[in-house]
Amino acid sequence: MKRIVISIAVLAAPLLAAENATFLIRNATVHPVSAPKMENASVLVVGGKIADVGAKLAVKGKVRVIEGKGLHVYPGMIDSGSPIGLSEISSVRETVDTGELGDFNPQLRAIVAVNPESEAIPVTRANGITAVMATPGAIGGRGSGGGIISGQMSLMNLNGWTWEEMEIRPGAALQMTWPVIVSGGGRMGSARMGARQTTFAEAKRNQEQRVQKLREFFEEARRYQAAKAAGAAGFQPDLKFEAMLPVLAGKLPVMVFAAREREIREAVAWAEKERVKLVLAGVRRPGQMTAEIAKKKIPVILGSTFATPLEEDDPYDEPFALPGLLVKAGVKVAFASFGTQFARNLPYEASQAVPFGLPYDEALKSVTLNAAEIWGVADRYGSVEKGKVADLIVTDGDPLEIQTQIKFMYIRGEQVDLESKHTRLYKKYLARP
Amino acid sequence: MRALTLLFMLAGLAAAQNVTVIQNGIIHTVTQGTFTGSIVIRDGKIAEVGEKVMTPLGAKIVDAGGKHVMPGIIDCHTHIALDSINEGTISVSSMVDAGEMLNPDSKSIYQALAGGVTTANSLHGSANSIGGRNVLFKTRWGQNADGLLFKQAKPSLKIALGENVKRAGNAQGFQMPGTQSNLRYPGTRMGVEDVIRDAFTRAREYQKELKEYEAKRARGETALPVRRDLQLEPLVEVLEGKRLVHAHCYRADEILMLMRIFDDFGIKGVTYQHVLEGYKVAKEIAARGDGASTFSDWWNYKVEAADAIPYNAAIMQKKGVLVSLNSDDASGAELMRRLNTEAAKVMKYGGVTEDEALAMITINPAKQMQIDKWVGSIEVGKDADIVIYDKNPLSMYSKVEKVFIEGKQYFDRDNDLTARPKVEAQKKGLMQKEKETEKRNMPQTRRTS
Amino acid sequence: MRQIIGRLVVWAGCGLALGQAPVRAEAPGLLAIQDARIVTVSGGVIEKGTVVVRDGIIAEVGAAAAVPKGAWVVDGKGLTVYPGLIDGLSTWGIPQAAAAAPAAAGRGGGAPVGGPGGSPAAAPRSWGPQDRPGTTSWVKAADLVKLEDRRIETARGAGFTTAVTFPKQGLVAGHGAVVNLGGETSGRMIVDPGAGLYLSMTPSGYTGYPSSPMGILAYFRQLWIDAGYYRLAKAMYAQNPANVKRPDYDRALEGVLEAKRVLLPAASPVALERILKLASDLKAPFVVYGVVQGYAMADRLKQAGTPVVLNVKWPTRERDADPEREESLRTLEIRDKAPASPAALAAAGVKFAVSSDGIDAPKDVIRALKKSIDLGLKKEDALKALTLNAAEIYGLAGKLGSIDKGKIANLVVTDGDLFDDKTKVKMVFVDGVKFLPPPEAPQTGPGGVSGRPSMAAGEEN
Repeated sequence: MKRIVISIAVLAAPLLAAENATFLIRNATVHPVSAPKMENASVLVVGGKIADVGAKLAVKGKVRVIEGKGLHVYPGMIDSGSPIGLSEISSVRETVDTGELGDFNPQLRAIVAVNPESEAIPVTRANGITAVMATPGAIGGRGSGGGIISGQMSLMNLNGWTWEEMEIRPGAALQMTWPVIVSGGGRMGSARMGARQTTFAEAKRNQEQRVQKLREFFEEARRYQAAKAAGAAGFQPDLKFEAMLPVLAGKLPVMVFAAREREIREAVAWAEKERVKLVLAGVRRPGQMTAEIAKKKIPVILGSTFATPLEEDDPYDEPFALPGLLVKAGVKVAFASFGTQFARNLPYEASQAVPFGLPYDEALKSVTLNAAEIWGVADRYGSVEKGKVADLIVTDGDPLEIQTQIKFMYIRGEQVDLESKHTRLYKKYLARP
Repeated sequence: MRALTLLFMLAGLAAAQNVTVIQNGIIHTVTQGTFTGSIVIRDGKIAEVGEKVMTPLGAKIVDAGGKHVMPGIIDCHTHIALDSINEGTISVSSMVDAGEMLNPDSKSIYQALAGGVTTANSLHGSANSIGGRNVLFKTRWGQNADGLLFKQAKPSLKIALGENVKRAGNAQGFQMPGTQSNLRYPGTRMGVEDVIRDAFTRAREYQKELKEYEAKRARGETALPVRRDLQLEPLVEVLEGKRLVHAHCYRADEILMLMRIFDDFGIKGVTYQHVLEGYKVAKEIAARGDGASTFSDWWNYKVEAADAIPYNAAIMQKKGVLVSLNSDDASGAELMRRLNTEAAKVMKYGGVTEDEALAMITINPAKQMQIDKWVGSIEVGKDADIVIYDKNPLSMYSKVEKVFIEGKQYFDRDNDLTARPKVEAQKKGLMQKEKETEKRNMPQTRRTS
Repeated sequence: MRQIIGRLVVWAGCGLALGQAPVRAEAPGLLAIQDARIVTVSGGVIEKGTVVVRDGIIAEVGAAAAVPKGAWVVDGKGLTVYPGLIDGLSTWGIPQAAAAAPAAAGRGGGAPVGGPGGSPAAAPRSWGPQDRPGTTSWVKAADLVKLEDRRIETARGAGFTTAVTFPKQGLVAGHGAVVNLGGETSGRMIVDPGAGLYLSMTPSGYTGYPSSPMGILAYFRQLWIDAGYYRLAKAMYAQNPANVKRPDYDRALEGVLEAKRVLLPAASPVALERILKLASDLKAPFVVYGVVQGYAMADRLKQAGTPVVLNVKWPTRERDADPEREESLRTLEIRDKAPASPAALAAAGVKFAVSSDGIDAPKDVIRALKKSIDLGLKKEDALKALTLNAAEIYGLAGKLGSIDKGKIANLVVTDGDLFDDKTKVKMVFVDGVKFLPPPEAPQTGPGGVSGRPSMAAGEEN
């Protein structure tokens, strides 16, 4: 209990606005994302917040000026899911802190295991990503524990001396994986190796049992909620159920991994029944559920676009075309890298889908404003608008295009170093005689 | 006179039957600049390239107006379309041929083709120090395994260093003392060197024995011939310069170690693969004249990739190393579909030029594999392996529209799109048919049971 | 010269153990089947004729063949006589193979034939071709065949009189034998102990090298190179023992050198290309077995001039499949077209026999071919696949496969067309010895499966 109180206190504390978090970018092309681009425009940042955006801004007093001629201002990009800071070298378990034991861990908070000194932070930042939804659960790969409810995803800035300083919303969503029916012994081969084949009926039973466990967990959480509200005698606090209260109240979204139509169908039905605020993730073959997702206004976190088709007969461009198809159907999408190594390629996850049908504006939104909206911080993040936090990037072009260079980055108005281990080694070895 | 004209025209038509002209495209020749012009393809070869070309009567015209045309992409390191990749049970498995495992039915070939790749080098895996023989092929989707092969190319051999190789020599978890005999040597980078040196030493002995036998035979002496050794034969070919080497490596120390082995055995024609710390020993690689085939921006997925930087390709290039980019795809062609934008990353990280970037996925890998005589650029006399993009291939917003291999169109995005519903219908039909058959057989089952 | 006086009753061993009535076999020295419809396979159909059998050999056949004096006579009215059916690639007669069959998911899977002691943990670690991994080329099916294999009776009941039986464990499993499915002794059953050397692409009986198909192909090549070298070394030594080193005796290589032909597996066109390349390197006559996608391989097989033993356990949909799992067009096509393979092979002129591999009830081999007949296979071709083709493939056309004078009297007598489901086998002759089919409903395949084609999961090969 004590811990939770503390964290709320931290959240309530005012943003640490550094002295130098006041400046003016002028003569730049500003891409607010929420509105059409503005040529020869200025952005005024005061105390870490965007004070004004416009063609001619009245500035009182002495303000540091950044000449933006030929440059572009965009909101900093948001990666809607990455174990950055929690997973350093994916193949070395000792450096990986995602994927806790147990099926139900809503009380776990990703942010507390984020190493602010992770090499991945400056590397990722250098490509224009200013905020990340840190994931507590393992996503594929090694040691993929993490059960059904992996814990709380934390929205954080990629800048800070400590994880506390990085926090935006330490509990921004619950990460969940919808149980999958895994039948067969894999294709061919494995049966020969003596691995027992799981029949579909058997696999289905296992899956249903897991879903049943999930239902029971929610039921227990509700009983806990009721008992707490009633001030029942002998009420014992329980961290797991305490963490479930905002979920039950529909305040905390639940991001559920569900790739194929069946899982999506089940997850959507379940969320409706449990009155849970649902966000879908890792969607790959939504099939008939596409229209349903759109109708129910369930946002989808896509990632990674850089994948091969799931089924042999799927079109070669299936992963590239999916974002466009979803958007056309009316689904709000955001992108996630769901990894550390390639987190810096987040913008390209989005732009890869553009030639295959995703409108460019949506691509840009999917790594900025859409993410902010889905994670409930659109009042402060996701666009270049008056009153929002000054998470900005200044570029020499379209940030979704590979060749574009990020010239400056501001997180909460503070200029961030774009150097990393990579640039240091580059300079060192380029200079090797 | 009229008859003569007609005859002339007919002759022209006949000659033009095997002619295709790609017109008015923005042509990235890679080696001879970029300009708006046309390409004449005759009998599968590039016959003419230029701003203005002679279009023979009756030639097939491909309008590339406003589109970008570049040579087919060459992937120097992949594992696609192989039914098995590793024979990692022993340290030297040079007797195995990954080429035998080439499966022409693998959809990854089509995926790669749709990404503009026309030549791919599918390698034996990196589970052991000396893996197997590799297979270089063109993505002529629809042909059988033999029809895919890049037949003129020199064969090659896989060598591997580092973590992957060591893995089998290191126990997972607790081991009873004295049970190490089940582990496969080597378990260290020192052992990796030993295995490779030992193998080439044995190959040299074998080569000597063969020569001695030949000499005896020439003298008319009776002697038992040397037993053919399929493990050592490819190594002898390497020693004799008849077989190229692709060496999987990561760290600078091991790259250097391998180079010194090659020095000692006089081995040339090496391409270091992945070579993520190649930038640290770029000078040494350049001095040997070897090639390097790397990733654009992979890093930190294992300990030996901790110092991997996206500037690797650019540094090596600047220091005189012949650099290419590869996909290392295995289960499907993923990165192979977008090697073009991987090349763009080298422009971003290290600032190489457009041509230099494109060279890393075309002419440079062609040179590394010594097939630049036939492929790797848009030049007269080369195979007409050509990709048409709707936009600049170095842009994220481009996509492949058409792919030609030796002048024959193997991919067309429009055709692909129109074929999709047909496949679906075909599947539905077959499923329906099967269900009906099953239904017919059902009652009998019940009766007999 | 065998002397059989009067009636000899052979007691099939396993019958007692099962508590069933023992099988009765009659072996008159001279017999005639009179007035039957005779399907000779080699020379067309004799609508009404007589087959005379003397001392186990067909002495006469024809419409006008006379019944010799003193012969036992079978009234063939309303009956049809066929040559005994041949299982072109089998394990019938090797009792251990029957015991291992239910456990093995695929050919060559499961524990080694040696028995329960052969757990994978005890399997030797192979470090290269010199360890001769999975190689038991000295093993001969002829030495393993036992009269007691209960499957023999079931097979006979379905009309099979001969099986080409192979040891199947390991990469180079051993030599097959052409086995008659009846006889007083196991030795009597063997028609040819050298049917061919069985090569498999499924590793078993060892760990380590080779673990991949490419490793296995490389191993086969080295083994044959070594065998060739061994032969040369032996020959040189024999000529010049004073100056040439005496080669070490190697039973694995001896076994390889003994092979008249090798059996190589190829289910698909892709696998076939690999096998053809291997075969050209081994320079050995070969037979392709395990063919599933025959419909797509016919032309290539014809071109290569290689005979085939076809798998007729047609791939079927998994009974317990995920209803939402999308199967690939390729898988669907294989299932759709596989039963059309025999017709395609016949049309291309490829010589093919069929195998009981993967099929529990022998009668289902015939049922499977019936399906192919429905899809366009000519009945004569189906019958040939079950008889003469197998005999020719294994070089025994002079002894087996048709009803011709001088051939072994392996005959099936039915009350109708062989491929009609209602037809019953009335009697079977093996080496001229008459067997009655087991009484009704004894179709106890190894798994106790009833006579329906089994549709086990995951048979896509």
